[in-house]
Amino acid sequence: MNAVDVRNLSKVFNQGRPNAVAALIDIDLSIEPGEFVSLIGPSGCGKSTQLRLIANLLEPTTGEVLVNGKPAGQARLDQDYGMAFQQAALFEWRSVAKNIELPLELKGWDKAERRKRALEMLDLVKLPEFGDALPWQLSGGMQQRVAIARALAAHPPLLLMDEPFGALDEMTREHMQDELLRICRETSTTVVFVTHSIPEAVYLSTRVVVMSPRPGRITSVIDVDLPPERDVRTREADAFFRGVTEVREALRGIGPAGSGGAP
Amino acid sequence: MRSPRALVRVVLPPVAFGVAFLALWEAAVKVFDLKPYFLPPPSAIWEQFRGNVGLVWDAASVSGTNALVGLIVGTVVGVALSFALARFRLLNDLVTPLAIALNAVPIFVLVAVFNNMFSITSEVPRRLMVTLVVQFIVLVNVARGLRQVEATQLELMRSYAAGQLAILRKVRVPNAVPYLFTALRIAAPASVITAFVSEYFGGSQNGLGSRIVGNIAISANAAAWAYVLGACLLGLAFFVAAVSLERVATPGGVSSRGRDGA
Repeated sequence: MNAVDVRNLSKVFNQGRPNAVAALIDIDLSIEPGEFVSLIGPSGCGKSTQLRLIANLLEPTTGEVLVNGKPAGQARLDQDYGMAFQQAALFEWRSVAKNIELPLELKGWDKAERRKRALEMLDLVKLPEFGDALPWQLSGGMQQRVAIARALAAHPPLLLMDEPFGALDEMTREHMQDELLRICRETSTTVVFVTHSIPEAVYLSTRVVVMSPRPGRITSVIDVDLPPERDVRTREADAFFRGVTEVREALRGIGPAGSGGAP
Repeated sequence: MRSPRALVRVVLPPVAFGVAFLALWEAAVKVFDLKPYFLPPPSAIWEQFRGNVGLVWDAASVSGTNALVGLIVGTVVGVALSFALARFRLLNDLVTPLAIALNAVPIFVLVAVFNNMFSITSEVPRRLMVTLVVQFIVLVNVARGLRQVEATQLELMRSYAAGQLAILRKVRVPNAVPYLFTALRIAAPASVITAFVSEYFGGSQNGLGSRIVGNIAISANAAAWAYVLGACLLGLAFFVAAVSLERVATPGGVSSRGRDGA
């Protein structure tokens, strides 16, 4: 059973009105459990829309989305996935631990269980002493780690991330990438990851999905030829640079948004 | 916590300025030989205040009670209405512009009309007036707090399969708390002002506003100023109470975002 199955998916915003926009057409994508798949493309290529369709935060215009073999709507109700965004979006009136507990609270877990899991998650993201801190007391990178801990608190098999490191500086960003890979390995989580950054996509992914705008569609899928264990040396390996070049060339065929689209 | 030295640096300048201002006032009255009916010196006002402190207190408790009752009822009504507004978009689109527009006009003149509806010695018109002013302030702010939730936070809640009620309880209400305190910080002094301005429009002659008018009518200027001093202290007390309540209820800067947003 695939972690994600997207079949013949399309999304039109404002359908039937003069300002209708075709955000996505003809999307087919299957993701196996344990994969790390990045969606990359210029602004307006619909990568975030596709992520929200998988999350069932948007309804598709045509086609279907299966998560864990279930319709996306059911998967959302069952909390089969966790989600993280560019903004950590922590609830500022809740302590760090209480933020992580929120999805469990909504699942009806009792208090002691929730607290136990929150502490485990804090260990996992290496912030064990920050449970009682308030979000504003944490740096951007630490907030993002809490957001990841919260997304994974219920141990969902799938993690959906929308440019989660987009607002971080380069050093923090690389560190967070390593942390994310470690966490996903330890929890065997499947990841769908939206990004603007070519090196980030190649470093993290088993597959990179390249998308083009107007209307958004998949133009190529690139398998990344790197070992599952990745570290500092990976960033300097020839295979890494080959991957970067391959993705860059695939994107070059598209051109930036507004320059006329694909050839 | 601030160090004592930092505290001195914060407190000293305004206190020094206040003392200098009073000294200058006192000196100006002496040097230019200003008549008491024009401007009494601070010393005379202080004397009147000390001599009539019981009367000022009585008047302040009448105005203060009116303000407090209106503040409490207005807050309850405002919060209740804000929930309705946040729930029903149409209602919000209808009421919010109206509430803002009404806030911009001096609606406390309505008290004259209210006075006609009740007996001449009733405090109800004044309390009604305060309630009206307060509930607009609370309504506009709290409704904004309930609605202006980060889009990502709402998406997160939906991803947790949370329904509207859970979103209301766990996101909208806590998000609105700082907005409520912002509203109270504005509404508390406004309630006192409304309470005594309301007294200018007739009714019992027992509050601070009536006493000020009454004393001016008999040219007892220093006494009138003593009541003005009482009014200042009452307004200040309400403001300090509102700010203290906020400090107690939201420790550790939780409300910082709400302050910016309001």
